[in-house]
Amino acid sequence: MRVAYYSPLAPEPSGVADYSSLLLPALRCRIEVEVVPTGRKRRLRGADVALYHVGNDPDAHGWIVDALRRRPGVVVLHDFVVHHLVAGITLGRGDGRAYLDAMEREAGVVGRLLAYAVMDKRIQPLWDTRPEEFPLAGSILDLAAGLVVHSRYVEGRARAYGYSGPLWRIPHPAWPAPAAEPARVGGRPLIGCFGHLNAAKRIPQLLDAFTLLRHAYPEARLLLVGPTAPGYELAGRVERLGLAGDAVVREGYVDERRFWSLMAACDACVSLRAPTMGETSGAAIRALSLGKPLIVSDLGWFSELPDDVALKVPVDEHEAATLFAALTLLADNPAVGRTMSVAALEHARREHDLEWVADAYAGALEEAAGGPAVDEAVLGEVALAAAEVGIAPDDPLAGELGAQLREAGLVR
Amino acid sequence: MRIAVCVPQVPFLRGGAEVFAERLVQELGARGHEAELVTVPFKWYPGSRVLSQAFLWRLLDLEESDGRPIDLAIATKFPSYCIRHPNKVVWLLHQFRQAYELDRTDLGQFGEGVEDRATRRAVHRLDRIALGEARKVFATSRNVADRLASSTGLTATVLPHPPQELPYRTAEAEGFVLSVNRLDRAKRIDLLIEAARWNPGLRIVVTGEGPDRDRLEGLASGTNGHIRFTGPVSAEELADLYARCSAVFYAPVDEDFGMVPYEAFLSAKPVLTTTDAGAPLEVVEDRRTGLVVPPRPDEVGRACLYVLEHADEAAGWGRAGKQVAERVTWHAAVEHLLA
Repeated sequence: MRVAYYSPLAPEPSGVADYSSLLLPALRCRIEVEVVPTGRKRRLRGADVALYHVGNDPDAHGWIVDALRRRPGVVVLHDFVVHHLVAGITLGRGDGRAYLDAMEREAGVVGRLLAYAVMDKRIQPLWDTRPEEFPLAGSILDLAAGLVVHSRYVEGRARAYGYSGPLWRIPHPAWPAPAAEPARVGGRPLIGCFGHLNAAKRIPQLLDAFTLLRHAYPEARLLLVGPTAPGYELAGRVERLGLAGDAVVREGYVDERRFWSLMAACDACVSLRAPTMGETSGAAIRALSLGKPLIVSDLGWFSELPDDVALKVPVDEHEAATLFAALTLLADNPAVGRTMSVAALEHARREHDLEWVADAYAGALEEAAGGPAVDEAVLGEVALAAAEVGIAPDDPLAGELGAQLREAGLVR
Repeated sequence: MRIAVCVPQVPFLRGGAEVFAERLVQELGARGHEAELVTVPFKWYPGSRVLSQAFLWRLLDLEESDGRPIDLAIATKFPSYCIRHPNKVVWLLHQFRQAYELDRTDLGQFGEGVEDRATRRAVHRLDRIALGEARKVFATSRNVADRLASSTGLTATVLPHPPQELPYRTAEAEGFVLSVNRLDRAKRIDLLIEAARWNPGLRIVVTGEGPDRDRLEGLASGTNGHIRFTGPVSAEELADLYARCSAVFYAPVDEDFGMVPYEAFLSAKPVLTTTDAGAPLEVVEDRRTGLVVPPRPDEVGRACLYVLEHADEAAGWGRAGKQVAERVTWHAAVEHLLA
């Protein structure tokens, strides 16, 4: 079986590109994969099925959606909220009508009016201010012949959105943890936070909680690794909280080697998110691979982590206080961290095993490529047998047969 | 309790699963239950026929019979476990192996076409649903339980069962190696026959019938070994062969259970098997209850020679095997099954 594979690829600075770098070699051991060159929108001849990786970045994924429009296929929905993507491939290309339509499909007339307001610059862009209220996932789901998601959360949202096609929940694979030498960062304890720094990562709450932790643990350090979102003001806040100096260690975009080395140095990692776009955190998965105690937001995919591998912080008015309590728990009780570490390693091995994930992809693609014909053959055989004994298509018995076939997963 | 024991039937073929299911009905009956064998013919080819035939089980209504409830349905092998019943217990003998470990081997049935690949995946999906809805799943061996876990994520309790009832006895070893099996390529009787090429004086008796018989007889005629094909034999004849042989050869590929080692052990005979035989390795321990060798004719030949030249040691392994086999009883099995 031959698969046309559409994805941003390294060295693009994209989480999905990293994901594909990890997945592709394992997938190629199982099925024939042809990676479609970036930007090519024409269908690949001879492919039995196409796989489209879709995330929220229009620069990285716009061409992939264009290709998807030409040929339906299996969509890997990396983010449920794709408002930014949809805005980029509609308004960003001067196609205001398509944006209006997408917003109307999402939220009816109110949505259309809001889209007009955005286009007239009467209100701030919704993809910046309220994307989680208008995910615009329907624009992608309508095109998907099959859907791969990484979490029950996104599965539930896609179904609630009305997506009724085949769906496979395949966990994000874990990176094999390299034997990285811990970087010399210092700090007792050293708390790490990795990835793009923006408002959704709850950095203000993290800084507030860390400030409290410093009162009890003056040698504690907070390591913030990743580029800062444009316009996001971090240094001033750090200074106002009295964290200037060596309390907060800042590193921007780092290469893989440095990333692992920095993470290896941490006593615990914090991966907060609110609002969630339905994404899975690559940084959190890496932390699990290294057996790092993890503190996450009690939201979306993060909520699905087992309680013994992650301390979960509800997103509410007590968020910073709860986060402080979680940090203190780990700082006061090294045994808790050790237990979480063992559980994290086991969870990464069991739930995010790369070989298992690649098998699941191969299965999904095989089902997507040949499944409709097989469903048709089984249904045809059963229908013929039913017709031969006088069960007409509108007979209640025919309905019962259909229900039984669906229940057994033999037709979808 | 009224209990339906479900097993698929391949018309005109009879093997271990049929023997097992019939015996289970008897054992349940002997313990005061009203047990009945329920069978549906099964044909697994061509194409997606495996799915439509499996679906037949889905349409059966075994919740009651003649106005009286059926309290329990015990399903055994694919596709009988597709039966719907509020109290379904599976004692798993086999999944559809062509869709799992036999895929892409000489013994597989699915090609590389997209429909074949998708049919195989549909079998997986059906298994997850049908086995997942069972109240409890037992597996006849660790091998079966492990395969179930790796393929579906479902867990099963290992519950072996005793072999068929024969007038088991032990007599003096007469210097031949016995093969008891359906003559089927997957049973790899050719390994034993090829061993005779390596060791021309070897005496072999091959019992059973099956589609591979002509090929095996052709293979045997090219050796200088003394190889006798008996065809099907009666229970009395089989017990006699077990009693008189020096060892029993049993080396299918990744077998799920296999009653033959237990039958050999109940006759106090050692078993020769291979490192890739699957479930037999759960009871055949190298140099304790038999010999375990790599799956090559020369290795099998050497193992045969060893048991023939070390008759006392081999007899000791047979006696140790007997103790293993005697621990597996119907009483314990039924108690677990109905708990």
